[in-house]
Amino acid sequence: MIESECVLLVQFVTICILHCFQGLHCDSTFFGAMDNLPDQRNVNGESLLQQQPCLLEFISSVCKCKDADHAILSFTLKLTGLLAATEQGFRLLEEEGLLACAFERGGWCAPDLWHEPSVRSGWLQGLLNTLNHRKALEFIRENGLIKVLLHLQNDPSLFVSSLANEVLVNILNFMTSSKMSNSSDAAGSTQCPMGPDWVSVSSEIIRAGVEALGSEKHPQVIQALKMLSLVLSQCGEPIRSMLWKDVLVPLEVLINGGSGSLTLPLMNVLQAAVRTPLLSQSDCKVMELTEAMLCAGNGKDCFQCAVLIVTLEKCPDVLKRKAINIILLPLRCLSTQLQDIAEKELEIVLEKQLSQKSSCISLLLQSLSGITELAHTKYPFEDLQSVTRSVMLLLRICSGHLSSFSPHRISLTHLIGCCKVQRCGLDTLGALSVYKENVDLRHEVFGVLLEYLQNPDSHATVLKKALQAAVRWIDVWSPFPDLLQFISRDLFPALEKRTCDVRWEVRDSTLEFIAQMTAALRGNTGYAEVLHTSGMFSILLSSLADVEGYVRASAVGAVGEAVTSLVQQTELLLASYLEEILSRMMAILSQDTEGFPRRAVVKAFTSWLKGPHPLPALDQSLSSVLSSGGNDFDWEVKIHTLELADVLMEKTLTCCPYAVQISSSPDETHLTQALRKLKDLGLLDLLLNSLFDCDRPVCEKACSLLLKLRTLAVDIDRCDVVLDVCGNRWGDEVGSRYLNKLQAERNLLSIKDISLPDVVRLLDLDSMQRTLTLSSDHVVNSPRSLMEDILLSVQQTEENIVDCY
Amino acid sequence: MKLYCLSGHPTLPCNVLKFKSTTIMLDCGLDITASLYFLPLPLVHSPRLSKLPGWVSKDGAVNLEKELKECSGRVFVDSQPEFCLPERELLDLSTIDVILISNYHCMMALPYITENTGFTGTVYATEPTLQIGRLLMEELVAFMERVPKAHTATCWKNKDIQKLLPAPLKDVVDVCSWRRCYSMLEVNSALSKVQLVGYSQKVELFGAVQVSPLSSGYSLGSSNWIIQSHYEKVSYVSGSSLLTTHPQPMDQSSLKNSDVLILTGLTQIPTANPDGMLGEFCSNLSMTIRAGGNVLVPCYSSGVIYDLLECLYQFMDSANLGNTPFYFISPVANSSLEFSQIFAEWLCQNKQSKVYLPEPPFPHAELIQTNKLKHYPSIHGDFSSEFRQPCVVFTGHPSLRFGDVVHFMELWGKSSLNTIIFTEPDFSYLEALAPYQPLAMKCVYCPIDTRLNFHQVSKLLKEIQPLHVVCPEPYTQPPPAQPHRTDLMLELQPAPMAYRRCSVLGLPFRRRYERIHLLPELAKSLVLSEMKTGVSVATVSAVLHSKDNKHVLQPVVKPAPVPPSKKRKRVTEDPPEVLDPKPLLTGAVPLEPFLALLHKNGIMEVKVEETSGGHILHLQAEDVLIQLEEEGTHIICDHNESLRTALRDLVLRFLHKL
Repeated sequence: MIESECVLLVQFVTICILHCFQGLHCDSTFFGAMDNLPDQRNVNGESLLQQQPCLLEFISSVCKCKDADHAILSFTLKLTGLLAATEQGFRLLEEEGLLACAFERGGWCAPDLWHEPSVRSGWLQGLLNTLNHRKALEFIRENGLIKVLLHLQNDPSLFVSSLANEVLVNILNFMTSSKMSNSSDAAGSTQCPMGPDWVSVSSEIIRAGVEALGSEKHPQVIQALKMLSLVLSQCGEPIRSMLWKDVLVPLEVLINGGSGSLTLPLMNVLQAAVRTPLLSQSDCKVMELTEAMLCAGNGKDCFQCAVLIVTLEKCPDVLKRKAINIILLPLRCLSTQLQDIAEKELEIVLEKQLSQKSSCISLLLQSLSGITELAHTKYPFEDLQSVTRSVMLLLRICSGHLSSFSPHRISLTHLIGCCKVQRCGLDTLGALSVYKENVDLRHEVFGVLLEYLQNPDSHATVLKKALQAAVRWIDVWSPFPDLLQFISRDLFPALEKRTCDVRWEVRDSTLEFIAQMTAALRGNTGYAEVLHTSGMFSILLSSLADVEGYVRASAVGAVGEAVTSLVQQTELLLASYLEEILSRMMAILSQDTEGFPRRAVVKAFTSWLKGPHPLPALDQSLSSVLSSGGNDFDWEVKIHTLELADVLMEKTLTCCPYAVQISSSPDETHLTQALRKLKDLGLLDLLLNSLFDCDRPVCEKACSLLLKLRTLAVDIDRCDVVLDVCGNRWGDEVGSRYLNKLQAERNLLSIKDISLPDVVRLLDLDSMQRTLTLSSDHVVNSPRSLMEDILLSVQQTEENIVDCY
Repeated sequence: MKLYCLSGHPTLPCNVLKFKSTTIMLDCGLDITASLYFLPLPLVHSPRLSKLPGWVSKDGAVNLEKELKECSGRVFVDSQPEFCLPERELLDLSTIDVILISNYHCMMALPYITENTGFTGTVYATEPTLQIGRLLMEELVAFMERVPKAHTATCWKNKDIQKLLPAPLKDVVDVCSWRRCYSMLEVNSALSKVQLVGYSQKVELFGAVQVSPLSSGYSLGSSNWIIQSHYEKVSYVSGSSLLTTHPQPMDQSSLKNSDVLILTGLTQIPTANPDGMLGEFCSNLSMTIRAGGNVLVPCYSSGVIYDLLECLYQFMDSANLGNTPFYFISPVANSSLEFSQIFAEWLCQNKQSKVYLPEPPFPHAELIQTNKLKHYPSIHGDFSSEFRQPCVVFTGHPSLRFGDVVHFMELWGKSSLNTIIFTEPDFSYLEALAPYQPLAMKCVYCPIDTRLNFHQVSKLLKEIQPLHVVCPEPYTQPPPAQPHRTDLMLELQPAPMAYRRCSVLGLPFRRRYERIHLLPELAKSLVLSEMKTGVSVATVSAVLHSKDNKHVLQPVVKPAPVPPSKKRKRVTEDPPEVLDPKPLLTGAVPLEPFLALLHKNGIMEVKVEETSGGHILHLQAEDVLIQLEEEGTHIICDHNESLRTALRDLVLRFLHKL
């Protein structure tokens, strides 16, 4: 149901469409109208056709128009289908003879327009729209439209053929649905009455599908397979079983024939079949076919098939293992001599593919990504360590470090320096860190990762992947004491060089990595010391002056984490640096020309404030951070500042107050002290100023924080914190509201101070929050706005070049 | 056509091509690695080096205390460093007509070739090659002459003694051909024989061949050479680069359609990508400076240093090196930096266009103006008073055996804060550092070699498709240390011809054609008969006049009747005797019509036998054989001249006379 105010607009739109259809140019207006019509079929219980009889006139005139535009005709067909979607509308259209006029081939006065794909598409879409009740189906059957639909399955236009498939599947589906039963006859019954007429329709469709599967024409086979997978996934019984029984033989022929280009559609069919109860019926042979699929065809298809099998949800373990073995073959082929006879046959195919650069790369990428996927699900590999080792071996081959290659004498020199395989391999190596059994391999893994980190030819993206993998493996290594020695002796020297890299991307990822590693090792007593003694902390500090904004931001993040780590373990060590760190952070926040470093500074302060160990002398800087962050040009800095304010507010107002000083007056409540503290830090000014910020997300965040303040400070009404209105952004707004409220009784020209409870009350935060949560585009996307646009486009005499959608 | 290989060094080639009566030397590189067997020449007295113990064999039988010194477990020759010259016995160097120089690194042996050898030819090089080559030679001479050695060690070279020496000295070959550095006098004399050429300029050599330099993209003025006659083309590819550095880009298309391509000067470190190495160089430099240490970069005074300075110029601010002084110390530092700015036409387009702005093409001008880069001829003088640490010093020689670098090694070697970064690929850094052990300073090896790598060269060869490729032997096999890297060698079809020092290769193509000019009056007199469309033939009687490898057909001058004279005529003045040319026959004898003709003339019994080149007709009754082949017809008919003549006339009926 639409809003009543739109009804009038709908009327205007239909009239305009009727009278000006030849003058319409903007297709998007049609689509917009189509999108909204389904919701507008029934207004106040009346069908749209009854409300807008001019629509009938419109359909009739378009169909009878000799020189109708194909876009208009297409639109009309879709509209007719839409209007015929209700039985009432269908009857009205039938009575007027408009259904036959629109959907029978001889119905239009411009039959040549059938050659336009958009018209055929509109025709199909129209039929699809009508398929909502039994009468529609009868209309299709009686007028022999099934034949046309079967013909359109092989239409040269992909959109048309796929739509034809969809209509056919919908017909089959519809016949088995409860909608088919006459509402009066079979109310509540789930059984569908499949009369002889309907059996003949379904048989016709199924027969056509079976014939197409046996066809020698490749596109026809593909279309039939597409339809088959659609039927399997969308249709219920008995259609599904009927169809499967008939297609089983041609399907087997196709699978055993092993045509490479059919692998994907065939797998889609099997994938759909696996998800149905057919899987559990032994005579349906779903698993046999899947297995045959894996074993048939040439090597390349078999890998593609294996990758698809692995992604099947309900796949028997035996088959899955087989598929995984195939996925692992290329990697195993690099490291060991294959033993199995069946594998040996594949090995010949493999050797050929591995010796050619492009096929080798795609094969290895498939294999690696397959392993990564499996690792994400923690799949129990039979020989996990050998899988991990073969990934490492591949990575060493790619970096050119390996002195002897595979036992197959395949020349793999084309892999040296291949970034694609390196990146994918490093991802896989990272993913394999989830297995506890791999912990023994940590030294070997870091040997490979170090090679990449030290290799001057490593591409920046490869280095990033190496660092990402390293973070995951650091986590694996963290319980062992030898980690610290490795970090100080091997890892930090390699990272030190990378922090001086010419490429900013590398410096950036290295600093990001150090931050992540420091966070991961938070609580490790030795790490903080290594960070300090190795000189890495000084390097991080010097990176704060990098020329690249992103690097400075990452350096800020890394310093932030390092400080957190140091303050926990070696507060004394930190003391000498802290003043310098805070002043450099403040300098970045107030002077840096780029937003990223400034955002990072605020985030660092937030993280320090959140930490369990309070940073000495932090509260002296907070006021400046809130003030600089709140006045920043970058809205994200402001958001981060509000997040800092959030943490500060929570710490101060909850029972364990943050650095609350003992009040001078014993009468002051804890709440008042806390609020005064927040006021002194500038937090209240920040929230109120942000509430009237020009950026909506900032206002929204500030509003939610003020609401939170109201919740946290339950007794806010009783506090006597007074805010200074003058000189603040928010002052004017609040001041005027205040004056309105007083109804100018005292005719005050200006006010200076308002109490906090008054301010909170005056603002009507709940209503503000409601408005702010609506996204800024909610206005332009409303049906009302859409229809106004349609009217506007109709009224425009000149072509509307700019499409505002 | 022959190629004499006087050097086996792939990047310091010295080959001689004998091509159409000309003898062309292609480059004359000097292998300085021999100097690594010598002790460094310190500029300032070094107590460490002066106190090294002399070497005496364990049994005391050989005492070479004055010639050999032991240092860190190795034995070095205590004498002025010597160099390994190109082979001088394989070929008489006085027969060389021209020397083509491809870049300034490949001409360092020039004085050894042109001086005191009877060489009377011409040397061709581009202007930057000559000028920068001169600087490098001057620098080398200055390095040697600044630190004269009173004695020259010669005894150790005695074959009987040498074999008793410890490794590696005992394994060194041809030590007798090693020579001390040349003098400035010899340099000047050698360079006075250089004639300047520009890219694509064609130089005629004795009318026989034409040589032309092409840009090779490796260094300022570096060239590859095309040596061609009318029908043959030899390309000589020396140090070339496809990277975008400062020189003009490489001209590849002109190398197409070569009969032979002599390929030398590929990268010496194929596994080190120059970009990656440059990155390593910068990060190591930055790390050392951050930690308060000094950086020493042993380098040549021209070439990669320009790119290093440019890279540092861009990197300095990001690495907070803005206040770190950079010093460039070389006797020719000033000239090298200035020369680089004035050879605008030899630079890449990007740098050329700067000249019109006008801006200096290289940013080191700005570094000098802002006092960030300072250059000095030596560590003596101004440098010692202005020197500030931590700093970065660029100085020679990269072998660490002579030059100012020796001083810095002694000065900074003891501190682990300092770093030496090797960027030149010509020397093994471990060998170079051997006499300085034990060494506390950090060593980083970042060889930057911008020359073609194997991947680039295979692409290039696919593109230009030479018929034959000749290359140094090491290019035909993977590096010895990495036998699995089959990608680091040349794999071509047909396989390249490999050479080593002292090889003499017969190049696999024959001269088949010569161009001969017809004088117009002779051309006018020709009577052409068209053999087939577009092909006409005429007989010509003329005198072939050959001079300076140019051949001209001149009309025969009919001798005027000479009055009888009693004087004895000089034989040489006799005009050639003019004979009427025998008519030339063209055409083919078709089998079937010929058989019909024989039949018509009463020869009935003919047995025809097919052969590879045609047919043999056996006239059985007459016992005559007639061979009909594509290139000739033979009538074998003994003892019956009339029959032979009759048969001949029958054959002639099918042929045309010209």
